Amino acid sequence: MNQPGRLHPITIAIRDMADIFGRMGFGIAYGPELETEHYNFDALNIPADHPSRDMWDTFWVKGKEDEGRKLLRTHTSPVQIRWLEKYGAPTRIIAPGKVFRNESTDATHEAQFYQLEGLAVDEDITLAHLKGTLERFSKEYFGTGAKVRLRPSYFPFTEPSVEVDVWFPQQQKWLEVMGAGMVHPKVLENAGIDAGKYQGFAFGLGVERFAMIKYGIPDVRLFHSGDIRFNYAFDEKKL
Amino acid sequence: MKVSLKWLQKYFDPSTGSGQALPTSAEEIADAYTFHAFEIEEIVGDLMDVKVLPNRAADCLSHRGIAKELSAILNLPLKKDPLSAPVPMLDVPRPTLLEVEIEDSKKCLRYIGAVVRGVKVGPSPDWLREALEAVGQRSINNIVDATNFVMLNIGQPLHAFDAKKLMQKDGVYAVGVRSAKEGEKITTLSSEECDLNPNILLITDANAGSAVGIAGIKGGKSAEVTAETTDIIVESANFDGTLIRRGAQALKLFTDASVRFQNRPSPELASYGMRDVLALIKEVAGGEAVDVVDVYPSRAERGTNVNVTLAQVNGILGSSFSQEDVASVFTRLGLPATCESQTFTVTPPFERTDLVIAEDLIEEVGRILGYDQIPAAELPPLRGEPDQARFRGIERVKDFLVECGFTEVSTQSFAKSGDIELANPLDKSMPALRTSLDENIKAALEQAKHYAPRVLEPKQKPKLFEIGTVFTKSGERLAVKTSEPVPVPPEIHDAPDYMPTRYELGAYKPFSIYPFVTRDIAFWAPADADYGLTMSIIREHAGELLVRLDQFDKFEKEGRVSLAFRLVFQSFERTLTDDEVNAIMEDISAALCAAGYEVR
Repeated sequence: MNQPGRLHPITIAIRDMADIFGRMGFGIAYGPELETEHYNFDALNIPADHPSRDMWDTFWVKGKEDEGRKLLRTHTSPVQIRWLEKYGAPTRIIAPGKVFRNESTDATHEAQFYQLEGLAVDEDITLAHLKGTLERFSKEYFGTGAKVRLRPSYFPFTEPSVEVDVWFPQQQKWLEVMGAGMVHPKVLENAGIDAGKYQGFAFGLGVERFAMIKYGIPDVRLFHSGDIRFNYAFDEKKL
Repeated sequence: MKVSLKWLQKYFDPSTGSGQALPTSAEEIADAYTFHAFEIEEIVGDLMDVKVLPNRAADCLSHRGIAKELSAILNLPLKKDPLSAPVPMLDVPRPTLLEVEIEDSKKCLRYIGAVVRGVKVGPSPDWLREALEAVGQRSINNIVDATNFVMLNIGQPLHAFDAKKLMQKDGVYAVGVRSAKEGEKITTLSSEECDLNPNILLITDANAGSAVGIAGIKGGKSAEVTAETTDIIVESANFDGTLIRRGAQALKLFTDASVRFQNRPSPELASYGMRDVLALIKEVAGGEAVDVVDVYPSRAERGTNVNVTLAQVNGILGSSFSQEDVASVFTRLGLPATCESQTFTVTPPFERTDLVIAEDLIEEVGRILGYDQIPAAELPPLRGEPDQARFRGIERVKDFLVECGFTEVSTQSFAKSGDIELANPLDKSMPALRTSLDENIKAALEQAKHYAPRVLEPKQKPKLFEIGTVFTKSGERLAVKTSEPVPVPPEIHDAPDYMPTRYELGAYKPFSIYPFVTRDIAFWAPADADYGLTMSIIREHAGELLVRLDQFDKFEKEGRVSLAFRLVFQSFERTLTDDEVNAIMEDISAALCAAGYEVR
């Protein structure tokens, strides 16, 4: 008797997200997991020896001095630069993918996890569009009762930068779910975009965190252990 | 940044001038910061832990900076801003008692040194000791406490040396700022022995040629202020942020001073620091400043004006703020601004090193007025279909494999060996990146076989796949790996029109970490028994420990129906014993018999 297999919950989550953003006009882009220091940091306005580098604990790769330093990407943001360099503006993409952080693991921290980056660049994209986009996304992903609120934050590659909280009516609480902001003009220029003409928003969310909230998963380490009990820990309905 | 609310309150003292009281509710204060400036980690009693954002670490790692923010947010004027008025020249009449020699003005941007004679070192007055202890600092003596207090108050790191431990030449002290020599050593105030190298900047007794401190990081033991000290040299300086950051990392010495210097506070701040610390030393330890020398080779660039138009503000934020709204933000933040035909020209005060481009000002407007004032707007529709072709191509392969009975796993990208090695692995036994998915799939399959009875039906066997990035000498690529051969091996091609299958998942059901026990039962069913009834009899008598029930056999013989079920038992609390599972099985058999089943 043959059985159908099961997708990994991360795949199911990314498909849900791709569908929602797809209906808002977002294409899907990919970039390398083994990145250069240039794309992961410098082009994103995170210079060497700047204290803001402390925001990302980085896995560096052994290599020859003259080839430039390589690392495991600490976020999906380098895809912004690579995509803009290649396709220019206007554009609207999401970029799902694995990222790496050199930090000890616990129930909410993994050294490798998935991020989903979002980028919308055009002549008149505003922070209000970011809010509207994320509000619609949250309502479609978490349920119609979800609300979005923005708080001040700092990322070198966005200005203004915000932290995004989502309101969960069942639990009656706000949870911090992602960082976002208006793309820093320097980042646009580093990718060859005319920052006088174009502007846009970007955001980055942790896919595991979204799935953990949506399904009540208690420990992020369940995701990438290769344990099929995790796939089967959910009732699954084909849509 | 640890902030004392009592200390903060001094900036808003209601008893004098135009000052007003802070809100008394900790929640109100926390919300004010959280929604307009910085996240508050926690407020416990008097102590508030503020997560100062990296772009504001140059001015907000200080009670003054934190107070200034609250003043803008709540629109409560500060009683007195210690940075508001320029500091008059600190140089006092000669004869010169102190000389300062800076080797490289790119490394030491400014050095103000002062000689204070006749201090009386002793315990600090209660208010000073209590203020420091309130933010988790240890009171040491009145001189050291004065330098720490002023640093925590306005953000300028300061240091005091015992002057008599430095050599005088013709009655003149000489402080040097130079790179350490290869092999040079220093013992710090807390008695750590540090091996130095030319990337580390030192403060030296230039007459003697010996090190008295690690610049911007920590003072040296050799010139420590003690109870016997009567004359001191006070330092208020500014060192290159990158140099201090690298030095602190190399020495693994992260101090209040190094954290501040690495964020590049303005060198202008040094004179305010010296003014305040000399005043405080005089107050708490007496003595007289007999010489102050200000060597300022790399004068801070006078803040360049930043322009922003009202149209830019609303064009980035998507808001409809008025000219008055925007002007009020600059007023509340104490940012000198003029406005002409809806263009604002802001002259950032020296300490606001973060305000450089129009977007920086737009952020100030957004956060101070509040992001709740920003409407939510839908993106305009896009012409044409978004390109998801590669994604859909990958998902098509996953759907195909799931249809073939494979379950998708996700495994770690790190491996015992590989072509690409990490310089700083987290797990030393996994120092490389995987070159293929083979080993991980093999390991996952072994594990899956073990768990199969728990998650699969009795006649099913686990089949796994992973699609993931592998890293080889020729670069990285997306690999597809199945735990057993597939008749038509799938390849990933762009599939612009493929619609990936969607699934709805229920809430996560935790699984037990304890071993499970399986038991089979087979019986002849009575003619009128249906599947549902049979299942419910078994479930009822199996109890809570039954975690899975599958029928795995059914046949008819001479008008009778034989059924076989597999039962899986597991506890969330413990390992089950054979005896207790046997007892449950006997109960089930008895119940089935009573209902007319004949257990085989």
